[in-house]
Amino acid sequence: MSFREALESGRFVVTAEVGPPKGADVEEMVHHIELLKGKVDALNFTDNQSAVMRMNSLAGCAIAVQHGVEPILQMTCRDRNRIGLQSDLLGAHALGVKNVLCMTGDHVSAGDHKGAKPVYDVESVQLLGIVESLNNGRDMSGNELKGATDFFPGGVVTPEADPIEPQLMKFEKKIRAGARFFQTQAVYDIEKFKEFMKHARKFPVKVLAGLVVLKSAGMANFLNNFVPGIKVPQELIDELKAAGKGKGLDAGMSICARHIRQLKEEGICDGVHIMAIGMEDKVPEIMERAGL
Amino acid sequence: MIITKKRDFQELLDNIRDYKSFFLIGCSECASLCGTGGENEVKELAEALRAEGKEVTGGIVAKTGCQVLGTKKELKAYKDAVNSAECILVMSCGAGTQSAVELFGDKPVYPTNDSLFLGNMTRFQVFDERCSMCGDCILDKTGGICPITTCPKGLLNGPCGGMKDGRCEVSPDIPCAWVRIYERMKKLDKLDELAESVIEVKDWSTAQSPRALSTREKKEK
Repeated sequence: MSFREALESGRFVVTAEVGPPKGADVEEMVHHIELLKGKVDALNFTDNQSAVMRMNSLAGCAIAVQHGVEPILQMTCRDRNRIGLQSDLLGAHALGVKNVLCMTGDHVSAGDHKGAKPVYDVESVQLLGIVESLNNGRDMSGNELKGATDFFPGGVVTPEADPIEPQLMKFEKKIRAGARFFQTQAVYDIEKFKEFMKHARKFPVKVLAGLVVLKSAGMANFLNNFVPGIKVPQELIDELKAAGKGKGLDAGMSICARHIRQLKEEGICDGVHIMAIGMEDKVPEIMERAGL
Repeated sequence: MIITKKRDFQELLDNIRDYKSFFLIGCSECASLCGTGGENEVKELAEALRAEGKEVTGGIVAKTGCQVLGTKKELKAYKDAVNSAECILVMSCGAGTQSAVELFGDKPVYPTNDSLFLGNMTRFQVFDERCSMCGDCILDKTGGICPITTCPKGLLNGPCGGMKDGRCEVSPDIPCAWVRIYERMKKLDKLDELAESVIEVKDWSTAQSPRALSTREKKEK
């Protein structure tokens, strides 16, 4: 069952994230693909995440297809203009990539090529419209394509953005532009996430809660202070502290597993997207602890 | 106005190392307000050059340096000073420098300033950028606040995930353009208008350099 079919069937789906390598060596990425094969419904491949130059998402996706794992192509608007984006989408489709996650992309000032000229010729809402157009057999200029695509388009949303109203406005625009599923920025406060889901449930879209595995109280504080849209509640930070030295990751995995279990059992959302950020090896164990 | 900043003096000296005599052209418009090409700055540069052993044959603060014919006319009165200078230094924006290049086909012309952006002056000699002159205004759709210019990503349909407490991911000094637009439209009771319309992909051909405009032909017809 494909990722799209699984979501449409109403089954609780699980996706995880793999960052392509900074370099030509794909061994570790392939190891992670193999490790998660058969365990997750699909694997996201990040697109030069945090504006740090790496192997492209498309190559990661193509390698996943070769290994029998369904990929989700993360596509940002930072590095390519409308011609590059459409061209890469057609290429991705030819390589068997059917899911595309349309994102704005972190600004170049966050990354390791700070002097780069940021592109943003189009943005996430418009990129969703472009995907829809390709699915209808036309490029965004209206030219007929030799063969339409069959993409399953998705977007991202930050449920804990502050202020939230402009974010929700954009969320709705993304749905109107064609987003069929959402993977959220990391959520830690499930009660607050329920509030967001109450709103999201008004729309015909599937939502996967984003979960970033915590490794320590220090990491939680860092996320709170420096990463927009992430709020780790104090009680979770206390829990990580109480775990003691060297036990932070274990506690973080338990928190993640507990959240997955709650999200699934209470039917809060349609699935989870686990972002292990360098701890991909731990994803199977987290899923096991969550009873998946 | 066009915001300019003085270039490094040593770099200027390096540019003009082969020349001994200079005529200086400031500008009474933007460069004067920026403190880079008004009366005082022309005097200061003349003194600084003399201190370096250079000769300054004269100087002028052109009324509008980017107005080619007007500047040409003003320079007539300075014919001798201009003729006796080996090199022209222009203390305005890149447009003013290129007016001088057009007027002095046989003399080297160097800029003393860097041209930065089209700016608003918020306090004396404090400037910020609000318009990129993209050639196809969307201020009618965004409550009069330009996201193309005031959002570092130029986003057209709402904030990105990098917004934190109403500030930009690029720098906390930058307020999120889309939070500002949202708040303004809310105040004007126009949120529906903002939320319902997806701003289409922009046609950047209107921003493609070199741009030119003439309204003369229309009038003559």
